[in-house]
Order: sequence, then C-alpha cells, then structure tokens
Amino acid sequence: MLLRLSGSLREALSTRRRQAADEWVPGGNGSEAEHLFLRATALFRTGDGETAIRLLRQAIEIAPGFSDAIEAEAEALDMGGDMAAASAKYEQARRLRQAGRPGAPDRHFVLRQQGSHTAEIVAYTRVLKSLKKFALPHLARGNAYLADRQPDLALADYERTLKLHPNSLDALALKGEALSALGRHAAALEVLDRVIAARPKDPEALNARGIAHVALGHVEQANGDWRQQLALLGGRPAASAYVAMRLADHELALAHLETMVRNDRRDPYWTVYLRTALLRLGRPLSADGFVDGDPWVSSLLALQSGKVSESEVMAQADSAARRAEALFQLGVAAHARDRSAARSYWQQVVDTGQPTLVEYAAARNELARSAP
Amino acid sequence: MFSVILYGRNDTHGYNLHKRAAISFNAIAEVMSDPDDEILFVDYNTPDDHPTFPEAIHDTLTEKAKKVMRVLRIRPEQHAHLRSKTHLVALEAQSRNVALRRSNPRNRWVLYTNTDMLLVPRIEGESLSDILGAVPDGFYQIPRFELPEMLWEAAFDRRDPAGNLAKLRDWSVRYHLNQVVHNFMPMKYDALGDFQAALREDMFAIHGFDESMLLGWHCDSNLAARLALYRGRVDTLIDKVFGYHCDHTRVAAANNKGRQTRMNDQDQYIWNVSTPYVPEQAENWGWPDVEIEEVRLDRETSYQRFTAGLDAALKPATVPYTSTSLEWFLYDDLTYDIDHTLPFVADQMLTYPRSTSVMIVGARGEFVERFLTAWRAMGFTGPVLVPNECEGLPSDLEGEERGAFEDLLPRAEMFIFEFGLATQDAEEPIRIGRQAGPLDTKRLKVVAKLFKQAASMEAETRPPGRRTPRRFVGVNVIYNKFWPLFTDYVGANINPFCSQVLAGLPRVDPSLRGKVLRFRGRRAI
Repeated sequence: MLLRLSGSLREALSTRRRQAADEWVPGGNGSEAEHLFLRATALFRTGDGETAIRLLRQAIEIAPGFSDAIEAEAEALDMGGDMAAASAKYEQARRLRQAGRPGAPDRHFVLRQQGSHTAEIVAYTRVLKSLKKFALPHLARGNAYLADRQPDLALADYERTLKLHPNSLDALALKGEALSALGRHAAALEVLDRVIAARPKDPEALNARGIAHVALGHVEQANGDWRQQLALLGGRPAASAYVAMRLADHELALAHLETMVRNDRRDPYWTVYLRTALLRLGRPLSADGFVDGDPWVSSLLALQSGKVSESEVMAQADSAARRAEALFQLGVAAHARDRSAARSYWQQVVDTGQPTLVEYAAARNELARSAP
Repeated sequence: MFSVILYGRNDTHGYNLHKRAAISFNAIAEVMSDPDDEILFVDYNTPDDHPTFPEAIHDTLTEKAKKVMRVLRIRPEQHAHLRSKTHLVALEAQSRNVALRRSNPRNRWVLYTNTDMLLVPRIEGESLSDILGAVPDGFYQIPRFELPEMLWEAAFDRRDPAGNLAKLRDWSVRYHLNQVVHNFMPMKYDALGDFQAALREDMFAIHGFDESMLLGWHCDSNLAARLALYRGRVDTLIDKVFGYHCDHTRVAAANNKGRQTRMNDQDQYIWNVSTPYVPEQAENWGWPDVEIEEVRLDRETSYQRFTAGLDAALKPATVPYTSTSLEWFLYDDLTYDIDHTLPFVADQMLTYPRSTSVMIVGARGEFVERFLTAWRAMGFTGPVLVPNECEGLPSDLEGEERGAFEDLLPRAEMFIFEFGLATQDAEEPIRIGRQAGPLDTKRLKVVAKLFKQAASMEAETRPPGRRTPRRFVGVNVIYNKFWPLFTDYVGANINPFCSQVLAGLPRVDPSLRGKVLRFRGRRAI
C-alpha cells in the first residue's frame, strides 16, 4: 500500500502542468517547426496558399524529416495547379514516413508505427475541442504521442480516457505501455496485471508485461508471458519470430524467420535475425547476406560473416539501439569460441540497451542460460 | 495487387441502379492491370429464384469486368439467423467480410468502395494496380466528388469505361466537380466508404468489419476509426486518383428514410472505439466455415448451363410451331407438351445452388426422365428424390433416389409437382378434349394428396437447421382443375398459360379457410 501511495505521489509531483484536453502541445518536430506548420495550414484554409507554402518550407528547413509539413506543401502546390511539384512532395513525404526501422511486430500496434504524427495530433486536438467525452480522440492522440516518443503526453491522454471510461481495458493497456516507455516498469506491471486478469488472452498485453518483467530482471516471468503470447499468435510468422527471439529460442525462431525472409523482402532485419539463429544453432550460413541500400544492416551482416571488425561496426552504430544490436551480434559471433566473451557482450546489451529491444530480452535469456 | 470488395442485391436500391452499377463495375475493371486483381461482389440475400445482381446486368458489362469479377452469393437461408436483428435486407459488414475471407491471398491490398463509383487515375494511362503497387503500406482514403445525375445518366455509355473516364476528366474542369470535403479525423474526408484501401494483412489482423453493426450506416467510419488506430495515421491518395460518385438522390434508397433513418450508434461505433480489434468475432468473422457459392460471369454462366441442360434433354423442333388451347371446355384435359414445358421448368431451377436436392412427385414417367437428364446436364449435383408412392415412374435413373415420401420430405430443398396424364403418349395431340382414364385418375390422386401434405407440413418437415421455406414448382397447373388446388396452397403469381408452370412458396393464410385447408392438407382429406 505504501509503495502504491508513494508511487501516486511521485506521479503527481512529476507531472508537468496539467494540459487541457483540447490544448495542443508541439511534438517530435520541435516547437518552432510545428508552430509554423499550424500557422501555414490555417492560412492555407483561408486561401493564402503562397504564404502557407513559404511557412511550410521554413518548417521543413528547420525539421527536414517533417513529413506532414511536406505533405501539406504538396497539397498547397496541387491546389495551386502545380501537379508535378506536388506529386514529388507527396512521394517525399511517403518515403520519409517509411524511413527508419518499424516497431517490432510482436508489440502493441501503436508501437509498430513509424514516423512523426504531428498532423494526427493536431487533427485529434481539433476533434477534442468539440468531442471531449469520447474515447477515440483521446486514445488516438495519445497513440500519436506514444508513437512520437512522447510517452508523458500519451499517458495524460490515456488517463483522461480512463477518467471518462474507467473500465476501458484498451486505455489501461495503453497506459501500461506509456508507463513502460517512461521507464516506470513497476507501475506498468501493476496496470498490465489488471489488464491480463481481465483479458488473459491479450497477446499485446502479455508482450508488454513480459517487457516490464524483463526490465525489472524477472526473466522467468517475462518468458512465461511471452510463451503465452506465442501460443496465442496462431503461428503468425513475423510476431512469432520476434517472440521466439526474445526467448532466445533459436530453433523455434528459425522456421518463422525463414518464412519472413521469403515473404518480406522489404525489411532487411529478417536476414540478420535468420543468420543470428543459424549462428547460434551452429549451422552454416547459407550465403552471404546482402541488403541493398541499408549500410547499417549491411555492416551487421558483414559482422556475422566475419568481414568487419568490432571497432568498425561499433563506429557505425550511431544510436543506443544500434549499439545494442551490434553488441548482441558480437556476443553471437563470440559464443562458439569464447563463451565468457559472449557473456560480456550480452551483459553490455543488458546494461545499456532498452528493454523493448528484442536483443535486450534475448541477451537476458542467453545470460540466464549460460550462467556459470 | 488488389481486391475490390463490393456488395449489393438484385433489387432496386435507389435510382437507376443498373446503370450506375454497370458504369462502376466497368470503370473499376478498366483501371486494373495486375493479373491477380479482382472485383469481389457479394450478392447478399437476393431471393433464391432470382439471379445475382451482376448476372442480371451481365450484358451491360465489358469482357474485362466479367473476367475479373467473382460473385459470392449469400443465400436468404444464410442470412436467416440475422433477419430478426435488422430491418435491412443486405448487410454491409457481413458481405464485406465474406469477400475479404475469400479474397485472393496474393493481393496486397483490399479496396472498399461501392457500386456507383468511378476511379480516375490522375495520370492518364496509369492503372490503380500501378498506383497501389508503388505506395508504401498504410491506410489510404481519397475524397469523393459528386457527379450530378444528369451527367452519368444521360452521357455515359455503360460499355465504354475509357470514354467515361475521359468525360470525367473533362467535366471535372468544365463543371467544377472536384470539391474536397474534409471531415473530422479519423474520417479524413466525407463519404469515406467509397474509397478505403487497406492492406489485406491488416484487415485480417483487425478481424474485418464489425459484424455487430446490423442497422446500417457508419460501417465505413467504424473501419476508419479502427484502421486509424491500428496504423496510426490516415493517408491520402489524392495525388494519384480521383473518385467520382454517381449521385442517386432523386429517389431515396431503402436505407434512407430521412430523419427517421435507423442506423448504428455513432457514439458506440465511431467516437468510443478504443481498439482496432473485434475479439468477439476473431474466429468467425467472414463466416469461414460457411460454404459460399461463387458465380463467374466469364464461364459456366447460367445461360451456358441452361442450354447444356436443354440440349441434353430435347431434340430440336421439326415444325415451325405447335398449338394448344385454353378454351374453357378443355379445362379437364391434362395433356401437355413436355418438349415445350421443360425449358420453363428448368428456368425455375437455375438460380438455386447446384447441391439442391429436389423432390419430384408426378404422373408422367417421361417427364421425370427428361427432367433428370436436363438436371444433370445443367450441373446440379443434388439428388432427385422420387417417392415410392408414385407408381409407374422410372426408378433406375442416374441421380435418382427412391424412398418413402415421409422419409424424403425432410431431405428435399425444392419440390416439383407434375400433374400430367400417366397414359399420355409422346406423339399424342395436345388439348383436344382428352379425358383422364382410371389409371391417370389413380396416379393424379396420389400426386394431389402428396402435394397437399407437402405444402401443409412444409414448415415442420424442413431439413434440420433450415429456416426459410422451400419452393414449390407446379407443372401443368394453369387453366385446369389443378390450378385452384395448387394456388390454394402455394403463393404463385399469375403466369401465362403457355409456360404451363407456376411456382412459389407455401401460402401462409391466416383466414379460417386457410386453416381448414391446412388441416385437410395435413391429413390429406
């Protein structure tokens, strides 16, 4: 009880000034760019396409990955009659939204989404000005914030939803995800326990609870949740492959990964993970992995083939997630000849990686299994 | 690349449905270029004795439209379990899910639209297959532009889709047709149900349309809300394709009663949607275990089956015409021409499932034999049930099953009662005042008795699980003494004498006379 009370107090104190439900807060593209976007779209509606385009270009200059601004410019150009320029901008916006790695397919659907969601946040905020008492706009905006990596704002929206609809297990599950994203895994666990008690066959909630457990070091409980999730997936290969990888069950992962390599040529990580499973099972790699146009994944594949050194691959790892990916692969590569070196790499994954990463859970399991 | 999913019914939904739909089917087929592309039309709850809607208008469709179209027929019997829960005769969510379940798994996309839409790629010559093949995964909508009724009705040629699309390109500019109507998110545009392109994989993941939406309206918005949650965004294809809707508000459609229109609850199905999934229907959306008939317009058509049946059972006429008469003094003459009558009997059968089991109760052996030949050649696989009580009929025909009337009754899905003369010779002249002999009378008495019993007890003798009444076909029941008998028990239309055939469902007559008839019929008094 004390723990719970202290948790609530911490929560209350740490919450930023409470936003009104229909108040817009700038997100992942930065305040200046998003304010320009907002102003431009308002001007565009009043018929001043020229100024709108100018402001949108300024926004894009500040935030070159701001796909919603690019699409808004496309719309303005299109209505102005410049179809060719508009078409190029629309394509650019689409490409930007596809850039980067999609979320893991075994996670909650919100966490599989890519790119920034400014336009959605603005649109649902507008909906909330007239429809405050309904779940959808709160949840949709919360999801957009969560996908935009602003879990604190997402949490606020989910809590508003729960105030309006206290029995909404969907909102509760999302609250668990937001808490987890904020690193508040114990609180997430508490929430997700409630969701799973009411909906024991919810694969996404089981996945989320597994992640909260593994973040807290409860490897066995995490594995229990993921095994249950696996049983509920009905053999869907993408999600099943990821869950099996979290469990570091390479034999199980292998069949699903082979399917995904055949079925989904757009995601080069399937090849990386297929080769990971083969390496861990001590089986030969059928051929050199080749991935067109993705230097980072190419370097991981080269590492698996022994063609690049540790320092070379680590030099290319430009984010915490990539560093964790590289360290995990270094552990896999080292395992056959030097188990203690492998353990050391995997320990670094656990020490520095995000618990949501598939490599994090796999490293935890590898460490637990190979404990001396 | 993509499966277009449409639904409808062979009825009159709004003004000039046939023209709108033909224009639309042909235009959609016109912008398909991938060999896997398909138009899935779910024909929902068309009466069994009608052809499906696309079959009814097939002559107005292009060869390409006929080639890409798969018609999935949902029978009234398959809808019967929902009938008490809705005022509608065609259900959108069920239809679209049945199609989704059976869509080509090689296709990446599913496009939901309606049978009054024309999709015009903005770059001339580009196909919708090219467009959808090039765009990233997502959930796409486009705005709907309205087309005044005068334009599509007066100026479009149903069988010239390319010309129609060219006209639209011209009119859109000349008559300022292209007005985008924005909407509250997650409905990016107004009338979004006329273009929602989703990944087939996503539609399976979210369990298709919500099948609890039985009152009409908002199925599209519900889908938008759920896909917007699932995908996180609603994307547009406005830079690639324009969509034009053949306006049809001169006459309100059956589901449009102005302010009195009953509809699904907006709050529940749009604004309080909190998950993309519909777990209650996760296992059974789209009726995976229900056998759904598939009809093609480019092969094994009803006409082909009809002619195959009749060609097998009939020899061509050797005279320019034959004659008969309906003069009143011939009322008791029960002679009729099988060659002439058989096409009208076969006509009653073709719209029914091929697996139908039909019971024949009759007096003329030749009729049974010829009918069976036609039946098999028309591709029917169900048995022809002949009661043992009918003496003198052939019993060794392929596909024929004999048994006690009582035992066969719950197996029959349709009935044919033939009131001819057992002694009529194939070469005999027709309706010249021939009287029935003792053998004829004896056999006809049995037919009449079994007819009354079957019609009176139809409801309680249906095959297990069947909810809808079975059809009765009467052969040689016009302008003779069996006319009143047949129409006392069966709600048949007034048909021309020339066809010799009446058909309908058992009458439910609540009057005292009806009750007496049923009582007497059951006991065959």
